[in-house]
Amino acid sequence: MEILVCVKQVPDDSVKIGLNSSGQPAVDGVTMVANAFDTYALEMAARLKEANEGTITVVAVGPEKAKDALKSCLAVGASKAYLVSEEGLGDMDSLTTGYVLSKAVAKIEELNGAKFDIVFCGKESTDCTTGMVGPVLAERLGVGCVTGIVDISIKDGGISVKQETEDGYNVVETALPAVVTVNKPEYDPRYPTMKSKMAARKIPIDTITAADLGVEADKTVPAVKVTGLSEPPKKQAGVKINEKTFEDTMAKAMEILKEAKVF
Amino acid sequence: MGYILSEEGSELVATVRDFCEKEVKEQCREFDASGEFPADIVRMGAEMGLSALEVPEQYGGTGIDAVTCAAICEEMARADAGFYTTMSASGLALRPVLIAGSEEQKKWACDVLLEGGQAAFGLTEPMAGSDSSNTKTTADKDGDEYVLNGRKCFITNGGIADFYTIFAMTNKAKGIRGISAFIVPKGTPGLSVGNHENKMGIRTSNTTDVVMEDMRIPQSALLGREGMGFMIAMKTLDMSRAYVGAGAVGIAQRAIDESARYAKQRVTFGSPISGHQAIQFMLADMAIKTETARAMVVQAVQRQEMGLSYATESAIAKCYAGDIAVQVALDAIQILGGYGYSREYPVEKLLRDAKIFQIYEGTNQIQRMVIAKSVLKGK
Repeated sequence: MEILVCVKQVPDDSVKIGLNSSGQPAVDGVTMVANAFDTYALEMAARLKEANEGTITVVAVGPEKAKDALKSCLAVGASKAYLVSEEGLGDMDSLTTGYVLSKAVAKIEELNGAKFDIVFCGKESTDCTTGMVGPVLAERLGVGCVTGIVDISIKDGGISVKQETEDGYNVVETALPAVVTVNKPEYDPRYPTMKSKMAARKIPIDTITAADLGVEADKTVPAVKVTGLSEPPKKQAGVKINEKTFEDTMAKAMEILKEAKVF
Repeated sequence: MGYILSEEGSELVATVRDFCEKEVKEQCREFDASGEFPADIVRMGAEMGLSALEVPEQYGGTGIDAVTCAAICEEMARADAGFYTTMSASGLALRPVLIAGSEEQKKWACDVLLEGGQAAFGLTEPMAGSDSSNTKTTADKDGDEYVLNGRKCFITNGGIADFYTIFAMTNKAKGIRGISAFIVPKGTPGLSVGNHENKMGIRTSNTTDVVMEDMRIPQSALLGREGMGFMIAMKTLDMSRAYVGAGAVGIAQRAIDESARYAKQRVTFGSPISGHQAIQFMLADMAIKTETARAMVVQAVQRQEMGLSYATESAIAKCYAGDIAVQVALDAIQILGGYGYSREYPVEKLLRDAKIFQIYEGTNQIQRMVIAKSVLKGK
């Protein structure tokens, strides 16, 4: 089974990031990591590969530094990695990223000499959180897509996936090839071993340029324009209720809730 | 931190730090309190290869350099010295096999650790700690077998080991030259494990008696030749000592980290206590001791790696790092004041954990004997 996992390098999501003086996210000095949802996708892909054999390739669109994220993926299940250089691609939105990735899929299939059966993406990135790249990629590839999955298995030559929704779960079956986007499953991504970390360093990561992909200029014009960024409003101080008795405190709380038309 | 690491080494150390931060540091505080063994954390650490750091490349190990290995030991101990002790005890038990074992024995033991297993080094006895010549465990030849009888105590990983390296007298009349070393798989009939010690510190590590009652093992379990046991044990300890120093440095570094963090937050007389020279000088002295100990660890492990003499340097590294870890942990408690004395805060555990580094793998009095002997010999 040939599996591709799309990975985005993002600022460490455990760090609280504000805006700098020019109104841009203050990410200087923040460690860049593989997007958490992409690491869940890779772990799910690795488990599927271990149960069914196959190979996992990872791809990222980004700057040269994004090779660090790819290297970390090579230590936890992936055996090949490609970087699509963002150079010459200008500002990108979900639509253009999905398009560039679809071209990358074709190119990597050519380089690997095999078609991908499944393309895994995280359900969203922890920095932009649009959740659209996976579906756009599927549309561009002309294949089916299931979003927000938490489990996957092979069934009758296709896949059966458990999709998490706001109301519960759907079990969806689809033919291959397909694109899936992954939510947080029940398990955590594995840690690299000392050996896998060292072995990953020895795997070359080839860079693919926009020219190699033959991207069409008019399809890399973003449809979304960021007009401004703002930080979430600071949390307002709460109301302290401290009446003499517990009963009075409760009565006061109920009164405030009633005034605020909570009921 | 004062290690000069290769890019690869830095990545490995960062990987271990990330694991320890997320899975070991806070979790082990609870295991320290309950005294339960953190089996899942140990399993994860072993799966990462942290108990197989000593496995040579030719037997499937990583072949990482000595300084990286020391830095990894420090990271583990910085998170939890008991976790470090569990992981490193397997390496300690492997060393006798690497020193004197046959190819078959080496391959077998290395495979056990590479597959995530653990091992235990069985030298200490109730009446034979520093004085291993007083070993009472006997190994009597009976045909092509040895029959072992005796009791080992304070054995790290005693209850969880997949194999044991056991030291026993094959010829009492010869004293230390009558000691032999054996490799014993777990489950060998006649081998049993005593109660887990309720210890002051490194409470997340497993420490038990290991008892042998008419335990029959084949001649092929002998490491090297009969009578080589004492030499094997001493060489093992010489080799591992500097890494024990790295563990102690990890505790000292954690004490500095916690003290600096607290000092910047705690306000007295209108300013954070980090602004008071009294605290600054304490922090500076803690850093001087810790960096000096770390530099000595590097010196010792690099000499060993380069094939130079290292026994004295290893003894200095272990002894000094163990001593300063206790002092630095005490200073951390002083900086945190009443909170330092409280179990709600992490530094009292550091003192309890640090103390063992003056005792195990050769007490610091024994280290001083080794060092003095070298000084007097003029080496």
